[in-house]
Amino acid sequence: MLVLSRRAGESVVLGDDITVTILEVRGDVVRVGIDAPRSVSVHRAELLAELATSNQSAASPSEDAVASLAAAMRTRKP
Amino acid sequence: MSTSVMIDPTTDSAQQGQEGTTVDEIPVIELVNPMPGFPERRRFTLVRLDDDGTLCALRSLEDPDLRFLVTTPVAFFPDYAPVVGDDVVDELGITDAAQVLVLLVLTAGATLAETTANLLAPVLVNTVTRQASQVILDDTSLSVATPLVA
Repeated sequence: MLVLSRRAGESVVLGDDITVTILEVRGDVVRVGIDAPRSVSVHRAELLAELATSNQSAASPSEDAVASLAAAMRTRKP
Repeated sequence: MSTSVMIDPTTDSAQQGQEGTTVDEIPVIELVNPMPGFPERRRFTLVRLDDDGTLCALRSLEDPDLRFLVTTPVAFFPDYAPVVGDDVVDELGITDAAQVLVLLVLTAGATLAETTANLLAPVLVNTVTRQASQVILDDTSLSVATPLVA
């Protein structure tokens, strides 16, 4: 891992078209601005990890679970 | 510059996978980005599990054991209206909000009350091009595990 020290207002350039700018440092919170092409997705790491965990929990429910859920949804409808 | 698309959750376009289709005719949904947690899986098909298409299975064509239960939002979250940015609109080739099918991934519990829906990251399907993506919405009030019934 490359480690750089930057001050507020300073930037790091990744590749040709991604610029990461330190906007503000206040206590233990750092505000970061990311300027990247639309094709580059930018997400909070913990959010992606939470989504991966959620998807893995959701994946491939048992036939029984599916059948009981389908039945419950049928009876719920007016 | 910011022409975000409001996607109407009442659009009833869950017409894929109806009875009578043969294997050759199964409409393939291609994920332009794999779902987080399943990086190798891009080709899916949508199979109805009830008469009106409220409950469906998003089934992997590459791994027969992999499927996700999904629902259209309108039955449980009538006010749900995800707003996405230009990047998603471009990526999925969306030209009209009416062509977008919104699917919520369900985590099945023992009962309906213990079943949750992922409102933070819906699967958006362009029903014309059959390209799809699980999109993380920019709304911190939404959760990956919202109870299906209050």
